[in-house]
Amino acid sequence: MTEKEVKRHEIREGNMNLFMSALKTTVPVFLGYIPLGMAFGFLLDGAGYHWIFAFLMSLLIYAGSGQFLAVALLAAGAGLTEFVIATLLLNLRHSFYGLSLLEKFSGVGKVKPYLIFALTDETYALLTTTEVPAGGSKARFYFYIAALDHLYWITGSVLGAVLGSVLDLNLEGMAFVLTALFVVLTIEQYFNSSVRFPFIAALGAGATSLILFSPDNMLLISIILGTLVLMGREKLVQGNMSVNKGIRQAHAQTRAQAHAAAKPVEDGSREES
Amino acid sequence: MTDTLQMLGTIAVIALATFATRALPFLCFGSREPPSILSTIEKNLPPMILLLLVIYCLKDVQWLAAPYGIPELFTIGVVAGLHFWKRNAMLSIFAGTGLYMVLVQFNVFSFI
Repeated sequence: MTEKEVKRHEIREGNMNLFMSALKTTVPVFLGYIPLGMAFGFLLDGAGYHWIFAFLMSLLIYAGSGQFLAVALLAAGAGLTEFVIATLLLNLRHSFYGLSLLEKFSGVGKVKPYLIFALTDETYALLTTTEVPAGGSKARFYFYIAALDHLYWITGSVLGAVLGSVLDLNLEGMAFVLTALFVVLTIEQYFNSSVRFPFIAALGAGATSLILFSPDNMLLISIILGTLVLMGREKLVQGNMSVNKGIRQAHAQTRAQAHAAAKPVEDGSREES
Repeated sequence: MTDTLQMLGTIAVIALATFATRALPFLCFGSREPPSILSTIEKNLPPMILLLLVIYCLKDVQWLAAPYGIPELFTIGVVAGLHFWKRNAMLSIFAGTGLYMVLVQFNVFSFI
């Protein structure tokens, strides 16, 4: 083999490893998207639509709860305006996902539009929590994860639309795999970062919205509520910090004046961290 | 034929609306810096959103009727406990899901 061929071979092997890694990462989503997608396909089939529409919707829309909502609206004979408003409201939470991915998605190159298109709850959860394998390309790894999840969703919904009425599998409870996935990823976030306040904000905002708002609206409302709480707290901390800094500076000055031959000041460094 | 066209149009509209919600922040802050308050909470959003997604998964639980959400809370407890103990994502997720399927399919908490 020439040097060029060896190199090409190595790259191919690296990509294969990256793909296997993405495959492993997305197994829980596979197990969740198949039954959920099937439920969607089954519903659409029941509403009298050809399976090709299940395929097209999952290919082009690719939003779990959004597609369930669409079936309900189709059955109700809603107008286009209703579709637009309902979809925007339901999926507005995704705007908050993008906000925390601005940096992660910069420099992923030409796959960026697809990554943005394919940003479901589950893909967002995986992308924000999973480390890119050492030496692998971020763009490629993210693309594999997003595309695999997309493929699972399409497969599930077509299966549901085609076989839904024939098959009688007892998959009750299987979609809980996504809840378990979110629980595990939340704990990973807990391990990976030292910040604790977001969890408190989530519990507060989540409980409040669960009690006060309808199940369909609670996610968007709780995300907005939680974000406001985070921003409010950040403002408060920043305010405190500048006050503290002022006090500390004044303190240091008087101390420096008192002990002209000063030792390095060590206390106070704890507050800063 | 008109039905098919109408359906295709509807799908296109829903697809565009969905994509718009996902692209919005990238369109807004693609070329200019986001406000500083946003960048400071940027790293705090994922943990908060993930925990909210957990809570969202429980949105349809009937807390005031038997079995009072016990299968869900019990399984989440097992998943979390397993994960804190072994920190093996596959183990936590599959053991938890298997357990939950058994709990609901065999109605294990029916005595409550």
